[in-house]
Amino acid sequence: MPGRLRKSNPLKKPDRPYYALGLEGSANKLGAGIIKHAEDGSSSVLSNVRHTYITPPGEGFLPRDTAQHHREWALKVIKDALKQAGIAMRDIDCICYTKGPGMGAPLVSVALVARTLSLLFNKPLVGVNHCVGHIEMGREITGAQNPVVLYVSGGNTQVIAYSRQCYRIFGETLDIAVGNCLDRFARVINLSNDPSPGYNIEQEAKKGKRLLPLPYSTKGMDLSLSGILTATEAYTTDKRFRIDPTTDELNGEDIITPADLCFSLQETVFAMLVEITERAMAHIGSKEVLIVGGVGCNERLQEMMGVMASERNGQVFATDERFCIDNGIMIAQAGLLSYRMGYTTPLVESTCTQRFRTDEVHVAWRA
Amino acid sequence: MSPTTPLNPTSPPTLTLISNSTPVAQGAEAKVYKSILHPSREGSPVSIFVKYRFTKQYRHPTLDTNLTRARVAGEARALMKCLRSGVNVPGIRMVDASEGVLGTEWIEGKSVRALLGGGADDEGDDDELLEDGQDTQELLEEDTLKPFGLSQDTLMSMIGTEIAKMHLADVIHGDLTTSNMMLPFPSPSHLTLLYLVDFGLSFTSPLTEDKAVDLYVLERAFSSTHPDSSALFARVLDAYAKRVGEKEWGVVGRRLDDVRLRGRKRSMVG
Repeated sequence: MPGRLRKSNPLKKPDRPYYALGLEGSANKLGAGIIKHAEDGSSSVLSNVRHTYITPPGEGFLPRDTAQHHREWALKVIKDALKQAGIAMRDIDCICYTKGPGMGAPLVSVALVARTLSLLFNKPLVGVNHCVGHIEMGREITGAQNPVVLYVSGGNTQVIAYSRQCYRIFGETLDIAVGNCLDRFARVINLSNDPSPGYNIEQEAKKGKRLLPLPYSTKGMDLSLSGILTATEAYTTDKRFRIDPTTDELNGEDIITPADLCFSLQETVFAMLVEITERAMAHIGSKEVLIVGGVGCNERLQEMMGVMASERNGQVFATDERFCIDNGIMIAQAGLLSYRMGYTTPLVESTCTQRFRTDEVHVAWRA
Repeated sequence: MSPTTPLNPTSPPTLTLISNSTPVAQGAEAKVYKSILHPSREGSPVSIFVKYRFTKQYRHPTLDTNLTRARVAGEARALMKCLRSGVNVPGIRMVDASEGVLGTEWIEGKSVRALLGGGADDEGDDDELLEDGQDTQELLEEDTLKPFGLSQDTLMSMIGTEIAKMHLADVIHGDLTTSNMMLPFPSPSHLTLLYLVDFGLSFTSPLTEDKAVDLYVLERAFSSTHPDSSALFARVLDAYAKRVGEKEWGVVGRRLDDVRLRGRKRSMVG
């Protein structure tokens, strides 16, 4: 923070290499990753394996089926992660798992795997907050020092900044998350869920030309998204709407295409996100922005954020889909940081929770 | 325009005015200038406060134009509504919604934040980030208030009364902080008045909820920028209650208690 002396880093350099296994399964992605923290303080990603539960177009993922998917794939994904990393379970220092927030059933099934591994190999457990995992991995990959963090995914939309060993939430959605808004609209127009509905919206939006009027609702540093989803859906019942326009229609007539709707939805929603991020930057006097979470790999969002940051003489940091979209390595990274500060989760406390706010975590490893 | 100022025939007069103004500050949304209106007219020139919502390059041009126009008009409308209801707000001097410019009366004075020793008069209302720097600042309220001939208690009552008048007109400020309240320097000709400024986030609503949240936002701003200010804020609420009347305060006060318990940030499902 401006005007404050930089305090010494509480995290000491490791006396030997540390390895952590991270397990993530808070939504429809099951991930396992292994990270190494070397003596010189550097970290390296040894493996980052992910398997996504993909539902047919028009359908979302239900908790029970997602949990089932995670149970079926857990062993394969973990074995692959160990194999790619070239290390054995006995070399691991701790097993990190997602404690929350997320969908109940998938969280529980992954936590069960973590607990079993912990007992089998006699390794300590570390419960990790999913959001903190995203932030720590983003900082590690991009090297951003003290950024304003925009965390945008299927379940979360938050503007976060670090202050006194806590990631404080400055603004957030008042109803649904931005990823949820995009995914649900993708279902309305029957876009494929492979590789992800958000990716297909982004591709579709590139073909859109007309900006249709949609509500724009930022409230200070908060925003509301559910009304925008409803308004966009309403255009699909408009008499000008053509789900499959012919070339003639595209060239001449006054019609609304799915591409136009994707374009309008993206432009409006992302403008709101950039606006609240800018407000948070002005508020705390920061020049760096870090975008994390699944929606963060959208290139249009990154581009808009980049324009805003350069207008403020700032810089934007973003990562690609390997680290933006939920993954095991970020859980390993955040978990290993707190493990090196002496934090572990005893077996009896190795629960999960659907509600676990970013600002509830004590960030012991930062000054 | 002054005859000495060369006019560029292609640029709109509002933007020419801005290019001849003195920049005061830049926030996230707008740049703020001090400008002179009618510089050639006889008598003393009139200073105005110009808020320029400049074009945001990242936004789609159509979206940007519409938003800017709606926001300038909305702010002007809220100010008008306050003025009509006798709330002390700066008078409107010019509106150019399509260029994103709103000019209001220039108030020569100090913000309540500065008067209460809340540090630099800039950002930082509802967060705790600034608290670190504050232990060095002595709280010298009584001394800074002396030129205004006010006690701290009177100042708090004035704040409460002004907010009450605004809420009675169903205007919700949306960003009540001590930085957004101004005391003009006293002059022998008129009474010292408290002005509410910056209606950039305001909206119209008759709902108890919105009024309670408005008060809650101010309470948080008080506690984060002015440590140990709960007694002060209680005076604000007293004056508010007195002005809106017992019946209305019964409803708003109870809702404020609810909002306090809930916090503005709810727990959210992941």
